[in-house]
Amino acid sequence: MPIVKVDGIEVTVENGTNMIQAAAAVGVDIPHFCYHEDLSIAGNCRMCLVDVEAGGRGPDIACNMQARDGLEIRTDSENVKNMRESVMEFLLKNHPLDCPVCDQSGECTLQDHYTSHGNNGSRLLDTKNHAPKRQPLSDKIVLDAERCIACSRCVRFGDEITKTGDLRLFERTDHTEIGLFPGEALDHGYQGNLIDICPVGALTSREFRFQKRVWYLRETPSVCIGCATGCNIIVEHESGEVFRFKPRRNPDVNSSWMCDEGRETWNDSNDFTRILMAKVDGKRSDFAAAATAAAELLSGKKVAIVLGTKGSNEGNRALALLGANLEGSKLFVMEGNDPSDTVSSDNMLKVEDKNPNRRGATFVAELSGGASTGVELKRALDAGEFEAMIVLQDDAVGRMGGATAPTVVFIGTHANQTSAAAQVIIPASAHIEFNGTFINNNGMVQRFRRALHPVGDSLPDYSAVDKVANALCGSVVGSDGAEIFAGIAEASPALKGASWASLGGAGQQIGSTQQAGAAAPSK
Amino acid sequence: MDSYPRILTKNWETPNSHTLAEAKKAGQYSVLEKCLKMDRQAIKQEVLDSGLRGRGGAGFPAGRKWMFVPDVEKRQGKPVYLICNADESEPGTFKDRYCMWHDPHMLIEGMIIAAYALECKTAYIYLRGEFKYIQDRVDEAIEEAKAAGLLGKNILGTGFDFELYTHQGAGAYICGEETALISSIEGERGQPRLKPPFPAVEGAWGCPTVVNNVETLAVVPWVMAHGAKAYAAIGTEKAAGTKLFSVSGHVMKPGVYEVPMGVPMTTLINDICGGLKPGRTLKAVIPGGSSVPVMTPEEVGKATMDYESIQEVSGSYLGSGGVIVMDDTTDMVSALSNLLRFYAHESCGQCTPCREGVGWMSQILIRLDKGGATEEDIETLLDLANNIHSKTICFFGASAAMPVQSFLQKFKPEFLAKIEAAKANIVPEVVSTTNSEATGSSAGAK
Repeated sequence: MPIVKVDGIEVTVENGTNMIQAAAAVGVDIPHFCYHEDLSIAGNCRMCLVDVEAGGRGPDIACNMQARDGLEIRTDSENVKNMRESVMEFLLKNHPLDCPVCDQSGECTLQDHYTSHGNNGSRLLDTKNHAPKRQPLSDKIVLDAERCIACSRCVRFGDEITKTGDLRLFERTDHTEIGLFPGEALDHGYQGNLIDICPVGALTSREFRFQKRVWYLRETPSVCIGCATGCNIIVEHESGEVFRFKPRRNPDVNSSWMCDEGRETWNDSNDFTRILMAKVDGKRSDFAAAATAAAELLSGKKVAIVLGTKGSNEGNRALALLGANLEGSKLFVMEGNDPSDTVSSDNMLKVEDKNPNRRGATFVAELSGGASTGVELKRALDAGEFEAMIVLQDDAVGRMGGATAPTVVFIGTHANQTSAAAQVIIPASAHIEFNGTFINNNGMVQRFRRALHPVGDSLPDYSAVDKVANALCGSVVGSDGAEIFAGIAEASPALKGASWASLGGAGQQIGSTQQAGAAAPSK
Repeated sequence: MDSYPRILTKNWETPNSHTLAEAKKAGQYSVLEKCLKMDRQAIKQEVLDSGLRGRGGAGFPAGRKWMFVPDVEKRQGKPVYLICNADESEPGTFKDRYCMWHDPHMLIEGMIIAAYALECKTAYIYLRGEFKYIQDRVDEAIEEAKAAGLLGKNILGTGFDFELYTHQGAGAYICGEETALISSIEGERGQPRLKPPFPAVEGAWGCPTVVNNVETLAVVPWVMAHGAKAYAAIGTEKAAGTKLFSVSGHVMKPGVYEVPMGVPMTTLINDICGGLKPGRTLKAVIPGGSSVPVMTPEEVGKATMDYESIQEVSGSYLGSGGVIVMDDTTDMVSALSNLLRFYAHESCGQCTPCREGVGWMSQILIRLDKGGATEEDIETLLDLANNIHSKTICFFGASAAMPVQSFLQKFKPEFLAKIEAAKANIVPEVVSTTNSEATGSSAGAK
């Protein structure tokens, strides 16, 4: 492990670390445009030029400098300051400076770096080059060629991540533009990432642009529920309204990326099928009355307990513990997807399993003696073995092609075939409305956090379950999600000692005691 | 200047010198068989000992470049590629085209020997787009050589297999830069790559690749035939051998001349090239292709034609040997403006300073030339050049900056005079107001 010096501060880093990462490790920020942690090194923006004091010849670019013993760089010299100023001056030479009408404003690296490293006024007396503005690049992206700084991040994304090789640089000199070959289309399912990695306002989202100035947006870390991969995301919202999802870097799950399908779930909690109020026998009811009604319906019956592959670990734990209080009940975890799920997959992040917490439901069920399958449930229902069933989140009835029990209690966020068959419907909060955890298909336990107030009368799924339990047999888990998770961790050797706090932002692999991503940055 | 062997140009006057028959008559391919039976390392050593330096412009010892190629174990069995850089796009340089036009077999023989020494089985000659007619001639020569068993499988019964192909570029200046050339040959956009890794370790298709200039490779057979000592004896101590100089501009006899390294620059211009036109005096010389700094008459008087002397005397470079001579009728502002228009057109557009800065410098120079510039513009120009020089991936940025820096350093009065003249005559009122206001505010911000 090489030992290097950044501005006189010594730091030991992993082999293969570049000097931007090494500097970051000691809190020194080296500005850059073209460098991206999950893409190859292009070295074209020249913003990360630093002085090399020992172990090499300088000035040189930090992104392409591999840490090696004896390497010493300086980032706070007059020379470095001048180089940054000059690169900013060059970048802005042909930039239209249309920030007031640019949607990137507020999250633009060019703006940020100009404020920190530019500020030298303009010496330009000649004309700027002009290039086509607002060209539709695809059904999701608008290209403004004037704003492009030719950093080639988008080109490298197509070459290295989606391997579609679609975007290219065309023309030369200060007329360089990105674009597609004639007759080619940009149509892969990861286009949103192009917008994210574009450091300037060249690539903007046709859906998001002009919807909100980004400085009004608040960010809440969460997890995508589009499929079982559980990509880490940031929910961007303001005044109780979500505006977009963006991927959050987690090298162990999704790197810096997420698929467009997942990204487009940002407004799902606002869907017209969302369950806002409790219902008993098709009539609106208040929450407490519905919980009591559910308890009465389930009491003394043989109940099929269907854990939610779309519900939180905490909700599933509560339901499993509720089941333990019902004589003759049995746990089930449904396989397959809801009929309303759009099933698609690829060889990158998207998997066929559209349930963000199948692994979690199974995991929690195992703590209570394990669960049976949906096939078994259908057989049992057809044979009349259960008088009632309680379903968390999943469209169990839909998945079984309509098979149902005489009595159905449904706790969930959206209307479906199960809610249609249910005597009692209890509204649950969407995952962006409460704190909880999922376990993704690779066994990564990850937190999602509350970004918005729960809509309508809805409660976090574990609270909703606990309300029913309260009416039936007394509280089983309480209403503190963190405590419920601690209870799960206590019951399971694979999560020994884990807590919401210990999961952090990066999550924790089942069976490992260390927080993922806690080791030095990979790559 | 005493008598010296003509190595590269010896057959140029022979009719049909490009045919295999004539080439063989002139002694080509005579040393090939001997070389193909030699120890590979010995060939590399011979070339290193000869002091042959890369003729493309950088002047890096050819033998050492060859020795950078990792041995078969270290390169994990990867093939080695040899590429002959025949892109020759440097303004003022036009020697390689004559080498290939008059004597393609000399190059081919050199490439076979180099390939053998480098354990290379496939090589390419990368020609600039405008060299289609030369490509046709080289292709003919390759076909002839192939038919004669000099290329292909089991060359001259030695068991050495070697294929040689020509590849036509699309006319981009930057593709003469070796990593851009490699990108281009791979079918990618012709853009220089970051170094390290160097091509000798990781070049074309990720394999070790040696890129040599036409002239460099064409000299190899002579070196192998006459020995390293004979070659080293020509020229100066540090710059061995003869060199092709492409002399253009205001001389009576412009053309390509083969002279030993170390010839006084005045001898080259006045004696060999017939001097200036009657009644003219020398104003400036660009000694090594348009990218290198310009030299004043005083410096020209002191310099000899080799790498060290030119650098010592003037801070310029021998470069590719493209000597551009300018007499007293030359408008230095126009000349520089013209040069920069070329660079502004040819920057590959990859690195920020070069992409944006070279075009900007050209814009300022056009104003300097046509009127509408102020003294501050000269300051800006110099500042831009300094901010581009050595801040980019490849040497292009420096190539565009060095003419600006040197012209401004050595001929600044001409620039100032032009500004004054323009001010006195024809500067439109509106331009001058804008200028003074804008420059005033920028000075204030500083």
